[in-house]
Amino acid sequence: MATIELEHIRKEYGNDIAIEDLNLDIQDGEFVTLVGPSGCGKSTTIETIAGLTKPTSGTVSIGDRDVTKLPPKDRGIAMVFQNIALFPHKDVYDNISFGLQLRKFEKEEIDKRVEKAAETVQLNGMLDRMPSEMSGGQRQRVAIARAIVRQPDAFLMDEPLANLDAELRVHMRTQLQRIHDELDTTIVYVTHDQAQAMTMSDRIAVINDGDLQQFAPPLECYNEPANLFVAGFIGSPAMNFIEGEITDDGFEADAGYIDVEFDPSAVDATVGQQVVLGVRPEHVLPTETATGDVTDSIDTYTDVTEPMGKEIFVYLVTDQSATVDMEDPDAAGQLLMSVGPAADIGEDQPLSVALDKSNLHLFDADSEVAIAHGLAEPAGVDATEDTPASADD
Amino acid sequence: MSHDTQPAGSSDEEQGPFTNWVDSAIKNPKKVYRAMFATVAIFFLFTTLFPLYWLTMIAFSDGSRVSEGVGLLPTGFDPSSFIEIFQQVPFHLYMFNSLVFATLTTVFVLLVASLAGYAFGRLQFRGKRPMMLGVLVISFFPPAAFFIPLFQLFNQQISFLGITPPELYSTPGGVVIPLSAVFLPLAIFILTTFYGQIPDGLEDAARIEGTTRLGALFRVIIPLSAPGVATAGILTFIAVYNEFFFSFLMTGAAAQDWAPIVDGIISYRSQFQVRYDLMAAASIVAVLPVATLVVIAQEKIVSGLTSGALKE
Repeated sequence: MATIELEHIRKEYGNDIAIEDLNLDIQDGEFVTLVGPSGCGKSTTIETIAGLTKPTSGTVSIGDRDVTKLPPKDRGIAMVFQNIALFPHKDVYDNISFGLQLRKFEKEEIDKRVEKAAETVQLNGMLDRMPSEMSGGQRQRVAIARAIVRQPDAFLMDEPLANLDAELRVHMRTQLQRIHDELDTTIVYVTHDQAQAMTMSDRIAVINDGDLQQFAPPLECYNEPANLFVAGFIGSPAMNFIEGEITDDGFEADAGYIDVEFDPSAVDATVGQQVVLGVRPEHVLPTETATGDVTDSIDTYTDVTEPMGKEIFVYLVTDQSATVDMEDPDAAGQLLMSVGPAADIGEDQPLSVALDKSNLHLFDADSEVAIAHGLAEPAGVDATEDTPASADD
Repeated sequence: MSHDTQPAGSSDEEQGPFTNWVDSAIKNPKKVYRAMFATVAIFFLFTTLFPLYWLTMIAFSDGSRVSEGVGLLPTGFDPSSFIEIFQQVPFHLYMFNSLVFATLTTVFVLLVASLAGYAFGRLQFRGKRPMMLGVLVISFFPPAAFFIPLFQLFNQQISFLGITPPELYSTPGGVVIPLSAVFLPLAIFILTTFYGQIPDGLEDAARIEGTTRLGALFRVIIPLSAPGVATAGILTFIAVYNEFFFSFLMTGAAAQDWAPIVDGIISYRSQFQVRYDLMAAASIVAVLPVATLVVIAQEKIVSGLTSGALKE
């Protein structure tokens, strides 16, 4: 068990900058997920922690030890890879015990530990199989056993579930959480799948273009995204964004179809400021059933409905003749709404909707940094200003 | 014969057998492929195996009657030449010398080519392509081009910066060093290809588990590239074992002076007679170790190919 600390990590490949200036402080026993789109630098980050990649500058510390210049084997870490990476020429026992054998452990100690690790991942009785004789899920469990058998200070997991099918992925997700509960070891987990990030982690580090966007517990990233990128990346389907301007009495969309009334001075916004309003699909409500503090009704027409079972996604357009541009979900005049399965909403019909004001997000259009979360009235007494929204950068 | 396909059956009888065969071959091209395969296969088997057969016949012939000529069967029958070859000269020592050259060169070549193959196949570095090209260019030179300077260096001990190298003439070093240089490029190319195909994840996993880069090479990459290593090793071993030029010229003529098999075979030629039967017998005996090696290693290569089961 150990803390992991990254200080001013910078990594360049030739002229490309993979990581700009990354600072991460991971607590002992914490389950931290690095999440971001492909090529955002999250894999480079975990490889830097592992020692497989040397940072151009900056320091990596594991358990108060500066390991920047140490080779991977001396860092006290174990890693599970996306492509599983079992040694195909060794059987399960040899795969799991590879690290122990290299470290010259006693035979009995190795046997004992391998047995226990195999038990943890439910692989008893399969120790003499070859990797080629196993299914994808079994192989991934061997890889996890190989990681836990050495009792490392920290686990690094690079998209370990990406190559598994959907059902197995959910199953392994629970198993991983169980293993984390059991071992209580620091885990750094990389994924581009925000569902995995949300469900498993103590804290999420959202990374984009080699920059840390937000480092916070999953629900905080969801409810109080630090900037436009986090708001759009976390949550599925993605948040609606509406470009507009701050007026004397609140927000007015550039396209004119949405007004939100609030006191601009209460949320640190200046009149005339260009902003982006964010609202999650589940906070777009049909006016008839809307309760609580909502905006004025917006007249829209339903375009396409997507019944998902437990919810229905409804694509709304303000102009009846328009169709939803799926390529650009944030195009003016369209909104995505998510309603319960009981809602009776047909396609191509007029529908009046309102936005739940306590769940609106306001971002500066230029810096893309969050200004406020929740615009419920009376703005003066609302706690919106106290949100730790003005994230580091 | 083909009444159902050719209604005008009567015309068949007018055609000769060759025309009939051509007719049926046109309808059934597989027949032609089979015939062509048989022809080519028999031709290759004949050209490769017949010399060996004839060599065996000479070896079994009576030494004093070989000059009469040897046909498809031995002239007279005298298997004792297989024993005599060891009595006239210490032929086993000549064989030992050649085996030592081949083994040392193979070990050295595999070791160096593994390191080079790892670098060329798995690392990115500046000047990789020019260096690879340089290795290739070296293999273009005829080995004879290096001979005279090397002979002087190994034999006459030219001092360089005040250091005189040890005399390598008539030692294994005099053969192993130049031959290693000659056969390295091929081995480097084979191993570069094989090592380059091992997924990065496996090497990363080995390094995380506790090996160095070099350890990962020997514990994971080389075992998984067994077929490639076996191929490079066998090619080198056979080439050096059969090599004539350097091994003949860089050593003396006697077995104690590290003379190779060729010297042994030539020594059955004396001032007054040439014992072709002994030469033939010695040649056959000399082939045995390599033949055995190839048979064993081939099994290894095949098993390596099937059990590898590399999956990502």
